[in-house]
Amino acid sequence: MEITYTENQIVFKKQLNTLDKFVIDFTSLLNRLDICYVIVSGYVTILFGRSRVSEDVDIIVERIEFDKFEKLWDALKKDFVCINAKEAKEAFERYLQAGVALRFAKKNRFIPNIEFKFPKISLDLWTLRERKKVLLNNHEIFISPLELQIPFKLYLGSEKDIEDAKYLYNLFKNNIDTNVLNEFIQKLKTEELFKKYLE
Amino acid sequence: MNIPKIDLKELEKMKQDNFRERLEFIEKYVEWIKKTSNKEWSSQQKDLIG
Repeated sequence: MEITYTENQIVFKKQLNTLDKFVIDFTSLLNRLDICYVIVSGYVTILFGRSRVSEDVDIIVERIEFDKFEKLWDALKKDFVCINAKEAKEAFERYLQAGVALRFAKKNRFIPNIEFKFPKISLDLWTLRERKKVLLNNHEIFISPLELQIPFKLYLGSEKDIEDAKYLYNLFKNNIDTNVLNEFIQKLKTEELFKKYLE
Repeated sequence: MNIPKIDLKELEKMKQDNFRERLEFIEKYVEWIKKTSNKEWSSQQKDLIG
């Protein structure tokens, strides 16, 4: 794999799959409206080549005011549809502000979809603040720092999650900040899983 | 990087909430599959998983 990993960004090129194109289309609108977001789901592993699929992509978005959300809603209307809310006001008040994710799919589609949510806990805010820029075929997208993504996958704990953690660790163990990784491993109490499956 | 404090109880609750939301989504997804022609849903599935 030809990939450039620096403190500020990860840069690489690849053949884009359906999910990559879907993510680029959606996040391009967030970038254009200058909305801070971070991708935190299994898509991070797929982005870097793991050969599995996912029908949803989790995105944490900074808490924005309704006016800005409405601008995004209007921009999304051209190509996307919200699966679980019909109007911007309802989507904002009954879902986002209540801590429930919105789901956006391409028009006339149901899958894949974006799970769009506001940060709920301090860890979400940290992830947003420390998000890592990825330049994928020159498209800018932002993902969770791998130093958190790996132990968090272990914390979630399903076989699929542990496999994702192992994939990312093996791929990036020479690039990531080991001190930060170890601290998250300790804080999330995933030391045993890390030793058993990743080391 | 300053590592934040992590409240594992809070995190566990979030994990449960997310799981519940995903189960609710599966209900919606099955509703959609049931009312959508095989040609259409399988076309979307094919686009996603090849």
